[in-house]
Amino acid sequence: MSNSDHDHDHDHDHPHKPMVDEITDFEVLEIALRELCIEKGLFTADEHRVFTEYAEQIGPTPAARLVAKAWLDPEFKKLAQTDAIAASKAVGVDWLDPTGFGAPSDFVAFKILEDTPTLHHVIVCALCSCYPRPILGNSPEWYRTPNYRRRIVRWPRQVLSEFGLQLSEGVEVRVEDSNQKHRFMVMPMRPSGTEGWTEDQLAEIITRDCLIGVALPKPGVTNNVTPLVRPAIRGVTA
Amino acid sequence: MVTAAERAEQIALVSRLKTFYPEVAEWPTPDEITHDHWLAYMKTPHDVGGELDYPHPYENKEEEEWELMTYVLCEVLAWRGIWVSEERRRIGNVDVGRSIYLGVPYYSRWLWSVGRILIEKKYIDWAELTDRLAEVKKRYPGALNGRRPEAQPKFAGDGSAVKRNKHHIRAVGVGDPQVFAGTAGKAKFKLGDRVRVRDLPAMFYTRTPEYVRGAEGVIAELAYESPAPEDETWDREDAKSEWFYIVRFRQSDLWDNYTGPNNDTLQTELPERWLEAINV
Ligand SMILES: [Fe+2]
Repeated sequence: MSNSDHDHDHDHDHPHKPMVDEITDFEVLEIALRELCIEKGLFTADEHRVFTEYAEQIGPTPAARLVAKAWLDPEFKKLAQTDAIAASKAVGVDWLDPTGFGAPSDFVAFKILEDTPTLHHVIVCALCSCYPRPILGNSPEWYRTPNYRRRIVRWPRQVLSEFGLQLSEGVEVRVEDSNQKHRFMVMPMRPSGTEGWTEDQLAEIITRDCLIGVALPKPGVTNNVTPLVRPAIRGVTA
Repeated sequence: MVTAAERAEQIALVSRLKTFYPEVAEWPTPDEITHDHWLAYMKTPHDVGGELDYPHPYENKEEEEWELMTYVLCEVLAWRGIWVSEERRRIGNVDVGRSIYLGVPYYSRWLWSVGRILIEKKYIDWAELTDRLAEVKKRYPGALNGRRPEAQPKFAGDGSAVKRNKHHIRAVGVGDPQVFAGTAGKAKFKLGDRVRVRDLPAMFYTRTPEYVRGAEGVIAELAYESPAPEDETWDREDAKSEWFYIVRFRQSDLWDNYTGPNNDTLQTELPERWLEAINV
């Protein structure tokens, strides 16, 4: 991409990003509100930093590991099905973190939905974007859009096919609309061709999209379905 | 600094933002609007399940620094007892109204809800926010040239007298909804019971989607006890808990002309007030 024809001296580290270099309305509002909160004593800068550190380390790794463990260990699988909060501890996720009563918007009510040869789960929050953030990280942009939320509850097979997932008539598609305090994640079936694999090897093919239910794990596939990534103007620096 | 021409141009832009049905006049008289249109206007705009739409490309997105900071801001306010997330979910997803709900970025509505709650609960006043917005903007005139905007609180306030909810203390070490366990009494329904979702004229807030109202389903799980979102969202710590249930519906019962196989299902979680027994 050529960026030779504009006349000011932006840094050109990110040639694919739009040339927006003024402070945005959103940044102004966030900073103003945060400053006022700290000055009013609503929270301290320290508390803000503690939560930021928490938010920066969440991601899909523990979720993938949890499923890999369950595939390998029937006892652990039972725990994952009956007490997903306890099972999360085995992969380093304490749902009470970081406040002592959980990440407030995620609550402490987590269930793992096990797929079978005749049952396939897919999750959505048709009302906002509820998602098992503490164990799966932030939801992808498409998961939050009205488009996905409007359509997956009514045309699940069509939407899944847009992700490249065609399911036969013999498989019940179950949409889990997580619109209250429960958070859900899908436990897909272990695919053939993974016999003898280690936990690490298995975890690699259990992508975020598999845990949402819009994809199935396949040997050799370690990426999420859509490669499209919209760049940020001033992204998270961590 | 703003010229008359610039004002006129911005007002012209706002004039093109349509938020009403083309078949009903803007600002209708009472005889001009039907019951169905009234219901459509009253519907909480977050409840989009089943609305007609066409396939869009599915995209991921890099997170903006301010988006992460907004998420943290909201969560720290809940951690410190300024609100519960159910208040945020109403303000940022419903109270914003349909044009803001659909018109601006996701996390900018989270931010909107913070400004709104701080003023509404009298933690800050309008002038404090407005002056601070102008001041922050003024710190960064013109291009940022690689600088990153930073929060610069003038001092750290004394939080000891700040009004906070009880929830943020009571739930510590226990969790939410665990903190409400044992407070709802006996559950009205049990696993396997057939229920119908009541068709209630819900105004202002609900988390029972329109697409299940009036539909019949089966209790798939007794979920937990908690105040219903319809109460929790108004910061009512006196609200009585009730049982929540995961209810399983057959898709062919939810949707007219569902095109998938007959055994496809959908589950969602509903508080007891929304359910009635089906007498068999
Ligand atoms: Fe949600």
